[in-house]
Amino acid sequence: MNDSVLDLRSISKSFQGVQALREVSFDLKAGEVHALLGENGAGKSTLIKVITGAHSPDEGEIRVNGHKVERLDPGMARRLGIAAIYQQPALFADLSVSENIALALEAPAPFRRIRWGGRRAAAARLLRRVGARIDPDAFVCELSMPEQQLVEIARVLGTGARVLIMDEPTASLTPGEVSALQEAIRVLKQDGVGFVYISHRLPEVFELADRITVLRDGTSVGTFHAASLDESDLIRRMVGRDLSAEYPGACKHTGPVRLEVRDVGCVASGVPKVSFQLRSGEIVGLSGLVGAGRTELARVLFGITPPDSGQILVDGNEVRIVSPRSAAAAGICYLPEDRRRHGIVLEMSLLVNISLAIHDKVFPRGWILEDAERRLASRFVGELGIKCAGVEALAGSLSGGNQQKVALARWLAADPKVLILDEPTQGVDVGAKREIHRLIRSLADRGMAVLMISSDLPEVIGMSDRILVMRGGCLMGEFAREEATSDGVMSAALGKGGEAC
Amino acid sequence: MNENHNASTTSQGGWRVWFRAESVLLLLLVLEIGVFSKTGTNFWTRENFFEVLRLSVEMGLLAVAMTPVILTGGIDLSVGSLLGLCAICFGKLWRDAGLSPFAAAFATIGLGLMAGALNGALVTRLRLPPLIVTLGSFSLFRGFAEAITKGVDNFTNFPPSFLFLGQGYIFGVIPAQLPCFVAVAVSFWVLVHRTVIGRELRVLGTSPEGAVYAGLPASSRIQLVYVLSGGVAALSALVYVAHLGQAKADAGTGYELLAITAVVLGGTSICGGKGSVHGTLLGLAVLAVMKNGLTLSDLPGELGGILTGVLLLTVLSGELFMRFLSRRIRLRNRARLA
Repeated sequence: MNDSVLDLRSISKSFQGVQALREVSFDLKAGEVHALLGENGAGKSTLIKVITGAHSPDEGEIRVNGHKVERLDPGMARRLGIAAIYQQPALFADLSVSENIALALEAPAPFRRIRWGGRRAAAARLLRRVGARIDPDAFVCELSMPEQQLVEIARVLGTGARVLIMDEPTASLTPGEVSALQEAIRVLKQDGVGFVYISHRLPEVFELADRITVLRDGTSVGTFHAASLDESDLIRRMVGRDLSAEYPGACKHTGPVRLEVRDVGCVASGVPKVSFQLRSGEIVGLSGLVGAGRTELARVLFGITPPDSGQILVDGNEVRIVSPRSAAAAGICYLPEDRRRHGIVLEMSLLVNISLAIHDKVFPRGWILEDAERRLASRFVGELGIKCAGVEALAGSLSGGNQQKVALARWLAADPKVLILDEPTQGVDVGAKREIHRLIRSLADRGMAVLMISSDLPEVIGMSDRILVMRGGCLMGEFAREEATSDGVMSAALGKGGEAC
Repeated sequence: MNENHNASTTSQGGWRVWFRAESVLLLLLVLEIGVFSKTGTNFWTRENFFEVLRLSVEMGLLAVAMTPVILTGGIDLSVGSLLGLCAICFGKLWRDAGLSPFAAAFATIGLGLMAGALNGALVTRLRLPPLIVTLGSFSLFRGFAEAITKGVDNFTNFPPSFLFLGQGYIFGVIPAQLPCFVAVAVSFWVLVHRTVIGRELRVLGTSPEGAVYAGLPASSRIQLVYVLSGGVAALSALVYVAHLGQAKADAGTGYELLAITAVVLGGTSICGGKGSVHGTLLGLAVLAVMKNGLTLSDLPGELGGILTGVLLLTVLSGELFMRFLSRRIRLRNRARLA
């Protein structure tokens, strides 16, 4: 145990009653690549934030280089040599490479003379160490993405980092660039730098990692030697769990096609060409990894980034969608993923929030009618069981689950034909989650067609009558309710097998 | 738990009423009137009351129309320059194009609406920040005004029937421009506080993205506030010309900042979302009474600028302090109940 540069023991962390991590242990040896895997929301980011000191754990112990650390904060983590590199390099694009590196190395001091020669030499030395052939005088904005990542690695190495956390570093890289990055990682491993490596690309993980820790629902499933597993073992460990949790039943009878999407695409938002149908009474799950293009597709259908090709038909009639307003008028509504920023207006009352999308209906002559508004809000507060101090309470004062119900109430009031839900139960506690599930089913039973985007695999499998799987902006698979297994859906999402799009 | 929540909301509501920007302003206004009644000659007279009103109509029109702009989180720096341009155009149309004052006024209002539409289009179509757009049109409109007059032309000798709008009295006491101002102020109050459009402006100012995701007609609402602001600036220009009896290219210089001062003093958040037309009117009254009182008290006019600055900064920081205080009280109450 003594060679561990980082050792987390029984870490627990909860946010407002939601247990994000439960007694997770994780250790990292010098010169090792330790992969951290799990579904979206399994607790990876929380664990990373505990390691970098952004979150302090409720329980558990953190040891760095064998010494116990009390109250790890971001500054201390940096001093202890812990650094994180994210998908998007955090560099100053308009400064040169050596300046970017110097910003991390040199203590800020006013009126100090800048020694350009020294800066350049230090930058060149660090860049050599990561095996990068980059001119220290080049501007960061002129570099390619992997070059920027190498600069970032060089920068954190300069600060004496011994633990490097890499969160999806290859998500935006081409295969050639990936191998360049992997080469740099191998070089640094020889120097004794430890890596915590997060990636959804399993082949890459097997190529690099010495050990793999799998997280699921905030607990650690176990730590394994990479050589002792294969991909399907790993997928099973990531998702394998009892899926028989109480979800409302399947759809009783599917009606006619409510939404038909024919070759719809939007180049600007990375949706090449998508076709599918939704039937009345049906809940269709849209699965895929973060960044697979699910939210982008929803935003195209709702007109936030309007489609530039293809046809959209609602109840057999072609509709032209140019804005959210026209989408809502056509009967397509969208419950956004980012509830606090898009789903509701936090600083305004439930009254305002619930009537917001149907001003024309509630206030037909353009005057604010307080009675009508109050009746509408009270009705939904009652129907959805929204717990609040009254309809005048600010939406921001409610709990996550109740905020989500308010966001839903707004669209229910509009009585849509097609309802697109984006992560409807994200950040919602278990009780409210179940209520929202039941509500979604009852909406479908009333004849709505529901498209549910969710990263929660059991939720997708438990709720959906059909599952569509997206990868790289395209639909890569379809599963009927009976044939949907978590392994199958996950494999399709990860792109095991055919990689074509 | 539930009871606890109710108790804290009611006490919170009670404090909030006290800490409203409006009550601070009202207090300030009473204080001003009290002081100037003692120090100013003829301050506390009916004639002076109406004189103050008459003097604040041009600024008041601009400030009232500025309120919905700022509510959406925008700003319109061009209104002072637009006032100048409209004044010149009115004079040009009447004197050189030979239009009747009525027709010229009509065309001038049209010009104002169009200039506002230009601001609105740049903000909504090109998605440029309103500060930049109207900073540009601020120079542009004044530049046009100066180009038309070559910097020297001055339009005077307007017919008495037109000058009545700015200099006459209805029933011998009420300044003729007052009914016009009251009508505009009431219309804007109704628009902002009683209509769906006003509600949508607030939501736009509070959460621009949330408004789009709710399917609100964001662009057309924003377009509307700039068009209205331009139209009202033109109206203000007519009142200005009738009031002074002349139109020069420098008319309304600096008015935009005074209008913004009145709006912000009246409790409208410069970030958008919060604010009221009656707050703006109160802010305006505080500024107008101060200016008038200083003059009648034989105090130097320069003091006006200094006091305006001090006033704005104290009221704003005072509001912040009171919000902090009410938060403290709320937290303490909650702690006591817990």
